[in-house]
Amino acid sequence: MNLHTIKIIIGREYLNRVKKKSFLVTTFVVPVLMAALCVVPIVMMVNSKEKTKTVAYVDRSGIVGEYLENTETINYVDMTAAPDADSLKNRMEELSLDAVLSISALDSASRSVNADITSRKPLGLEMSENINNRINKAVENYRIASYNIEGLEDIMNEVKANVRLRSYTMDDSGEEKISEAGVNSILSMILGMFIFIFVTVFGSMVMSAVIEEKASRVVEVLVSSVKATELMFGKIIGVAAVALTQFLLWIILTVAIVGVAGSVLGEDIFDSLDAQEVAQTAGVNVDGEAIAQLADQSELSTILSTIQGLDFTRILVVFFVFFILGYLLYASMFAAIGSAVENEGDTQQLQLPLTIPLMLAYFIAIYAFRAPDSAIAFWGSMIPFTSPIVMLARVPFGVETWEILVSVALLIVTTGLMAWLSAKIYKVGILMFGKKSTWKDLWKWLKQK
Amino acid sequence: MAIIECKEVCKSFGQKVALDHVSLEIPEGRIFGLLGPNGAGKTTLIRIINRITIPNSGEILFNGRPINQRDVEKIGYMPEERGLYRKMKVGDQAMYLAQLKGMSSAEAKAELKKWFVRFEIQSWWDKKVEELSKGMAQKLQFITTVVHKPSLMILDEPFSGFDPVNAEMIRKEILRLKEEGATIILSTHNMESVEELCDNIALINKSRLVITGGVDDIRRKYGNNNVELVYTDEQGRHSEVLPRETDGASTLRTYLEKGVQINSYKELMPRMNDIFIKLVTEGE
Repeated sequence: MNLHTIKIIIGREYLNRVKKKSFLVTTFVVPVLMAALCVVPIVMMVNSKEKTKTVAYVDRSGIVGEYLENTETINYVDMTAAPDADSLKNRMEELSLDAVLSISALDSASRSVNADITSRKPLGLEMSENINNRINKAVENYRIASYNIEGLEDIMNEVKANVRLRSYTMDDSGEEKISEAGVNSILSMILGMFIFIFVTVFGSMVMSAVIEEKASRVVEVLVSSVKATELMFGKIIGVAAVALTQFLLWIILTVAIVGVAGSVLGEDIFDSLDAQEVAQTAGVNVDGEAIAQLADQSELSTILSTIQGLDFTRILVVFFVFFILGYLLYASMFAAIGSAVENEGDTQQLQLPLTIPLMLAYFIAIYAFRAPDSAIAFWGSMIPFTSPIVMLARVPFGVETWEILVSVALLIVTTGLMAWLSAKIYKVGILMFGKKSTWKDLWKWLKQK
Repeated sequence: MAIIECKEVCKSFGQKVALDHVSLEIPEGRIFGLLGPNGAGKTTLIRIINRITIPNSGEILFNGRPINQRDVEKIGYMPEERGLYRKMKVGDQAMYLAQLKGMSSAEAKAELKKWFVRFEIQSWWDKKVEELSKGMAQKLQFITTVVHKPSLMILDEPFSGFDPVNAEMIRKEILRLKEEGATIILSTHNMESVEELCDNIALINKSRLVITGGVDDIRRKYGNNNVELVYTDEQGRHSEVLPRETDGASTLRTYLEKGVQINSYKELMPRMNDIFIKLVTEGE
C-alpha cells in the first residue's frame, strides 16, 4: 500500500463530496429539522392555550350545572331555561355560541345522565375531555351523596391513590441512579436507527462511487497508476470522512439551534413554570389538573436525572467504534457489489444479501429496545453483521464490558476478512466491462488468483 | 536495449487461457505495434505490463530487471475502455491523475499548463468534463496519459474517437514523443497507421504469439519478393511487376538501355492488413 497515493485518493473523494450542493443542503437542513423536532413541541406546549369558547348548557338533571365552572378556555352559559336544546343548536351562530351541551334528566335506574354536545366546529380533545370529566365528577358526587353516609366524600377522596413507580439502577459499586425506561428506550432506538441509516446511506454512497468509476470508464486509467485495493480503501476512507464530518456538523448545528431557540423561548417557559409555583405556594385548592401538572414536572425531573445518570462518554465511544467498524464491514461489501455492475439498476439482486442482514439487525434492534437482555438481542449484538446496530440499541440499558469487547473483536475479525474478500472481487470486477454479473461470477472472481 | 521483456508469460482466468507462454522484447525508443484480433489477449498483456493484472507464471522485465510498482510511474497508459470523471472540472481531473502518477502539485500544474497551451485548450481548465465533446475529452485523455513524461507509453486504439484533424495532431505528438526518446506501444486495428508509425510489431492470436519483429522485415518475409517498375515509352505509360533480383539493378539497366523513361521503381511489399488476415486465418 502506498500511503501517498491513498492520501490523494481520499482527498479527492472527500473534497468532491463535501463541495457538492447536496452535501451542504443535507448538512444544514437536517439539524434544522432535528432542532424543530425538539423545539416545536415545547413551543406548542407553551402556546397551546386555545381561544376561549362559549358553551351553552341545558341541564335537565340539575346536578351537573354547578360543576361547570368557567376555565381559561371555556365560558359556560346556563341556558337551562330554554325550552329545548335543539332550538339552541339551530341558533348557535345568532347567539354567538360555540357549542351547546345538552344534559338529560337523571335516569333513576342507572343513577346517571346522558349528555351530548353539538358544536359548530369540531371540539379539541382537551376541551371535550375537560367537559366529560366534569360531568363524571358531578355524577360521582351525586352517587356518593345518595348513600347518605356521613363523610363519605372525604373518605373517597382519601382513598384515591397516586403512586408512581420510580426505578433506579445500582451498579457494582453501589451507586444508585434514577433510570427511566422510557428515556433509555428512546435513546436506544435513536442510536440503533442512526447506525442503520448511516451504514446504509454511506455504504451505498461507496457503491455508487464505484459504479460511477466503472461506468465512466475512468477506472482502468486509475488502476494503471494505483493498486485496485488502494483505490477501494481510499474511496471507503474518503466517504467515511465525509460521514464523520456531516455527523459532527449535525451535532454542532443542532446544539447551536436548540441553544438559540431555547434562549429566545426560555422566558415563556419560565413564565408558565412560575405560574404553577405561585398557585402552589398560595395554597390554592389543587384540583386534578394541577396534580397532573405536578406529576408531569416530576416526570421531567426523572427524565433529566436519567439522562444525567447515563454514561455518555461510554455510549459515545461505543457508538463511534461500532459505527466505524460497521461502516467498514458493509462499505467494503458494497464496493465489491458496485464493482460487478455498470449501472445502479443492476444492483438490486446483488444487494439483497447485504440488505437482508441490515433489515434483520434493524428489527432485532426494535425488539432490543423493549427487551434489551433477551437472547435474540444478545446474539444479535454478538453476530458481526447485526452487532453494530443491535449493540447500540442495547447500550443505553447498560451492557457488560466483556460483551462489548467480544462483540468488537468478532466485528474486527469479520471486517478484516470481508474487506479482504471484497478487495479480491473488486479487483477483478472493475475491469469486467459490458456484462451483467451474477453472484456466480463474483464467486468465480473470488477464486481467481 | 529492450525497455520491456516478456518472458514466458502465462495468464488464465479460470478455465480460459488468455496468454500462453508469450515472450517478446520491446526495444527502447521505438514504436511497437501490438496486433491481434479481438479477444486474442492483447489487453491482458497490456494490463500485465501495467501491473494491473498479475501473471500466473513468467515475468516482465523493465529496463532489464523485474518490474515493480514504482516503475508504473514511468508508464503512461491510455486504455481502450477509457474515460474521465464526468462531474469533475477539467483542470482538477488532470491534476488528480498527474498526482497519482507521482507528480507534485506544482510540477503537475506547470506541465499541464504547457500541454494545454500546445493543444490550445487553455480555456477548458474550469469546464466540467461532461461539457466536453468526445473529441475534446480524448485530447484531455491523451494529455493525462503523457503529462508525467513516461518513458513508456501504452496507447490502446489511440485514434478512435478523433476526427481526421485531431487524429493527425495525435499522430504528430506520438512521433514527437518518440523523437524525445520515449517508447510507445501502440495497440490498434488500423493497419495503415501500423505501416506508417510502427518500427516493430508483435501479432498475438488465440493467446499465443504468432510473430514479432521489425515491420519491414515482416512485410518482406510475407511478400513475393517483387518490384514494380513504371516507365514511359512511345506507346505511353507502363507498369510491370518483376521479380526482385539479388544483384539489384540488372533488370533496371536493361530497361534503361532501351531508352525508356523510368517513372518509378520500388519494392512491392504486402500490406500489413493482408499479412494480418493471412496469419490470423491460417491459425484457424
